[in-house]
Amino acid sequence: MDVSDLKGMLPVDAVVVDGRPGLKWMDMSGVSLAEPFFQQTVERVKTTGNRRRELFTEFDVLLQLEKHLDSVPPTGFIFHSSRCGSTLVANACRAVPNSIVLSEANPIDNLTARFITDAGDVKTSLYSVFLRGMVQALAQRRNGNEKHLFIKFACCSFAQIEHIRRIWPNVPWLFLYRDPVETIVSNLNDVPPWLLDNDRRVLASIVGVSPAEVAAMSLEELCSRTIGSLFSTAQGLANANSMLLNYTQLSVPVISSVLSFFKVSHSTQELETIAGTSRTYSKQASGTRTFVSDTDAKQKLASNAVREAAAKWAIEPYQLLEQRRLEQTARCG
Amino acid sequence: MNAINLAPGKHVVVTDFDGGEGILVDLNTKKYYQLNETAMIVWKGLEEGKTMREIAADITSSYEVALDKAQVSVERIVDNFQTYKLLTAR
Repeated sequence: MDVSDLKGMLPVDAVVVDGRPGLKWMDMSGVSLAEPFFQQTVERVKTTGNRRRELFTEFDVLLQLEKHLDSVPPTGFIFHSSRCGSTLVANACRAVPNSIVLSEANPIDNLTARFITDAGDVKTSLYSVFLRGMVQALAQRRNGNEKHLFIKFACCSFAQIEHIRRIWPNVPWLFLYRDPVETIVSNLNDVPPWLLDNDRRVLASIVGVSPAEVAAMSLEELCSRTIGSLFSTAQGLANANSMLLNYTQLSVPVISSVLSFFKVSHSTQELETIAGTSRTYSKQASGTRTFVSDTDAKQKLASNAVREAAAKWAIEPYQLLEQRRLEQTARCG
Repeated sequence: MNAINLAPGKHVVVTDFDGGEGILVDLNTKKYYQLNETAMIVWKGLEEGKTMREIAADITSSYEVALDKAQVSVERIVDNFQTYKLLTAR
């Protein structure tokens, strides 16, 4: 295939077709990645206007493309333990002019999962260069004036941060998290796909058990053990190139400090736009629903099973992570 | 054998990774090869049309190794590339 066939196209999913792993591409000419999640943009494009050209390629096309693309290098990575305000931060990054925000883009997170589901020394290197190529393909300068690239990964991808850091060792990263009881309540109220994934290998790897054991777990236990593991990973890997942020801290000044941490300067006017963004419910594409902090409501809704699971698997890692954050804050003055 | 008569095949894509290492993809067979730093120096030397002796000299400038030993390494690596049909006549 000639790489010029991909002009105007972006990889919109990592898929397996006829047993061949590869990429689904779609013509995204003139499409702004304006929605809170990448897949919402893809769905909008699919359901409105003329039918867009789609095609399938194998992953190696990413390596062929590398030398042809003018892409924005990553500015900052946003990782999180789910339901903790990361979409709000991503939306704030989107308010910065000339920014590209790739928010939980399936092609990135599905490829990241392959570090687990298709492991091996050569394959780890291979998937690393594919992931680098994927990001380059998604971060093409399509307008010509893009300057910043923020990538918000799906929560499970944080378990692969060491592979990600090996590809981009100098990119600053943020880890957002929240009280485990509130996180579990939120996930049980509206169960996300990652908790229901039929391929149990990813969660099994994160939790450190077999896929069969994952399948036998209650959602409370599975969610608690997963976020507990993510907290431990964050606590263990936090360094000068990372920022830990608790949901309780979220405010416009703190989001402004996140942008400064990502070395992105912003004007007062842009800060006002960010403030407006933070007042609306972050995951709704239309931005018409008002954001309300729901800490008390989540605590009241917590069942005994939730509290027990949190106490057994997540509270201690959460407290250690909080301690780490406070140490970082103290060091920064 | 003189490397100057050999060039990387047009059906092969290479990319750097992890400092000096690299990944080669044979687009015909869809096979992938992971190259260590020395093999990447050899591959890049072939891309630039260098002789085996010149490539060996590049290796000696990066690593503490005698020129004759470096030449043996280069010949072995080029042989491997040929075995896997990654090179074509220039």
